[in-house]
Amino acid sequence: MANAFVAAFEILSFGAIIVLIVLGLGIIASMMGIFNFAQGEFVLLGAYITYLAYAKGLPIWAGMVAAPFVVGALGFALEALIIRRFYAAPIVAMLGTYALGLIIRESVRGLIGGFYLTVPEPIGGSIDIGAMHISAWRFTIIIITLLVMGLCYLLLSRTSFGLRVRATLENPSLARASGISTPLIYGATFAFGAALAGLAGALIVPVFSLFADLGLRFLIQGFVAVMVGGVGSFIGPVAGAGLIGTLSAALPWVMAPVVADVLVFVLAIVFIKFRPQGLIAGKGV
Amino acid sequence: MPKAMGAVKQAIPAEIGGVIDAAAGSSGTVVRAAAARKILPIVEGVVLIAALLAPLVLQDYLTVFATRVIILALFALSFDLVWGYAGIMSFGQALFFGSAGYGVALLARDLDITNIFLVLPAGTLIGLTFALLLGGFLLLGRHPSSVIFVSLGTLTGSYAADRLARGWYYLGGQNGIPSIAPMSLAGYEFTEGPAFYYLVLGILVVVYLLCRFLVRSQFGLALAGLRENEQRIAFFGYKAQHLKAIIFTIGGAVAGLAGSLYAFHEGFVWPNMVGVVVSTQVVLYVLFGGSGTLIGAVIGAIIVEGVSFWLSDNYRDIWPIILGLLLLLVIMFRPLGLISFVLGERERVGSFGAKPKEKRNAAP
Repeated sequence: MANAFVAAFEILSFGAIIVLIVLGLGIIASMMGIFNFAQGEFVLLGAYITYLAYAKGLPIWAGMVAAPFVVGALGFALEALIIRRFYAAPIVAMLGTYALGLIIRESVRGLIGGFYLTVPEPIGGSIDIGAMHISAWRFTIIIITLLVMGLCYLLLSRTSFGLRVRATLENPSLARASGISTPLIYGATFAFGAALAGLAGALIVPVFSLFADLGLRFLIQGFVAVMVGGVGSFIGPVAGAGLIGTLSAALPWVMAPVVADVLVFVLAIVFIKFRPQGLIAGKGV
Repeated sequence: MPKAMGAVKQAIPAEIGGVIDAAAGSSGTVVRAAAARKILPIVEGVVLIAALLAPLVLQDYLTVFATRVIILALFALSFDLVWGYAGIMSFGQALFFGSAGYGVALLARDLDITNIFLVLPAGTLIGLTFALLLGGFLLLGRHPSSVIFVSLGTLTGSYAADRLARGWYYLGGQNGIPSIAPMSLAGYEFTEGPAFYYLVLGILVVVYLLCRFLVRSQFGLALAGLRENEQRIAFFGYKAQHLKAIIFTIGGAVAGLAGSLYAFHEGFVWPNMVGVVVSTQVVLYVLFGGSGTLIGAVIGAIIVEGVSFWLSDNYRDIWPIILGLLLLLVIMFRPLGLISFVLGERERVGSFGAKPKEKRNAAP
C-alpha cells in the first residue's frame, strides 16, 4: 500500500514537471503555429539563472522568482528581433529557433563546462504521512503546476488579453482590422511561453541538477506531448503532457527503464500517425 | 510616446528591407552571370581537383582528417537529397548512418567479415532498410503527414535509437564497439591513410554522379516541384507520398554507406553516432553549404569541419556558439546557403528540354 502510494506520487510529480514544461511550448505552438525548438533552452536558461542566484549566495527562491521574468524578457526581445521574420514559413521557423537553441545551449555549456551542477531544494525534507515519506519539494512542484495551469487557463479564457490572443489565433487579419495589434500580441504570447519555460527550469533544477543538455532532454518529450495532445487548443497539450509524463514515469516500474523510455516515444508516434489531430481536436481554450 | 514607438517599428522593417533589396540585387547579377557561364560544373571541378590533390600536400594526420571529412560529405549528400530536393525535414538522418555503422561493426566483430565487397553493400542495405521502414511509416498512409510530424518522428527515431544503443549490452552500451578490424580486399587492409582517402573519394564521386543524374532526371524535377508546392505536384497526378518515400529510402541508403565507411575509418562506433548530435551536424552542413545543390552539401561539410578543426585548438569552447550564430544568419539572410553567393537559382533546378532564351535580363 505504502509502496503503491509512493509510486503514484512519483508518477504524479513527474507528470506535473512535464506539464509545466509543455505548457509554454503548447501555448506558443497552439497560439502562434510555431514549433519553438529553442524552448528546451529556455528551460535550461531558467535553471541556469536559479543556479547563478544560488552560486552568488542569494536565496534560491529569489533566483526562481527572477528566472521567468528574465527568460520572458529575453523571449520578447528574440521574438522582436528574429522569430518575427519566420511567421510566414513554419519550417524555416523550426530551423531558426533550432539555431537559436544551439546558441543558447552552447553558451551555457561554455559557462558551466561539462559539469552536473546541483542546486539544493529551497524547501527541503519530506512530508510524512504515517509511514510514508514524500519529498516536500516535489509536492511543491505539483502545487505550483496546478496553480500555474489554473492561472494560464483563467488568463486565456477570462481576461481581455486572453480574448485578444484567441482572436489573433482564430483570424489574424480580422483581429488586425478590429484594432488589435497582432505583432504585440505575438510578442507577448511568445514572451509568456518563454517565461513559463523559465519557471519550469527554475523549479526542476533541484530535482534534475543543471547540465547543458537539460533542455534537449525535455524538448523531444515536450514536442511529442504537444502533438499527442493536439495543437491548437490550450487543454490539448496539457492533456498530452499529462499522458506522456504519466506513461514515462509509470512504465519504468514494470519494465527496464531504457525499453520504457523508447516504448513511450514509439507509442506516441504511432498514436499521432493514426490520429494526427491529437487527443483533443479543435481550437480555442 | 506610442507614436514614437510606431515610428521606430516602421523604421526597422524599412532598414531591413533595404538590406534584403541590396542582397537580392547582388544575387540578381550573379544569376545572370551564372546563366551565361554555367558556374556549377566549374565549382564541382574545382572541388574535385582540390580533393584529388589534397593528400599530396597534406601531412599524414591531416589526410586522416580529410578522409573523415569526405565521409561526412557523403553523409551530407544523403541529407541534401531528402531535405534539399524533396523538402522532407529529416532530423534523424544519423539513425541510418549510425545503424549501418553498428551493423558493419557487428559483422566485423562477431562474424569476422571485413571484405569490402560484403560490408559496404551490407551497410548500405541496413541504411536502406531502416529508412524504408521509418519513411514508409512516417510518410505513407491515408493522410499526408505534416512536415512537423515527419521531422518530429525522425528526431524521435534517432533519439530512441541513441537510448537503445546506450542501454543494450550487446551493442557495447555507453562505450560502443571499439577496435573494429580494418576493411580488407583480397588480403590488403585499408587502414587510415592515402589509400583509404582515395577509396572514399572514389565512392563519393560515384555516388555524387549517381545523385546528380537522379536529381536532374524527370524524377528529380518532380521532387523539386514537391519541395516548392506539394499540392500542385499531386494535382499533376504524381503520387507525392510515394516519391517522398522513395527519396527518403535512397537517402537512407547513402547515409548507410557513409556510416559503414565511417565505422571502419574511425575503428569504433559509439551511441552518439545514431543520436541527435550527429543528426544535427548533418543539418548544419547542408544548411550552411546550401541545400538543394549537391555540391553545396559537400562544400558545407568541408567548410564546417575544416573551420572547426582549424579553430579547435584555441577556440574550442566558443566555436559551437559561433556556428550557431552563423547558422542563424544564414537562415535569416541566405536561406539557400553559402553556395548561393556563386550559384544562381536556375542551376539549382537544372534545365530541361530546349534552352530558355536569355533575352529578358541580358545586359546591353
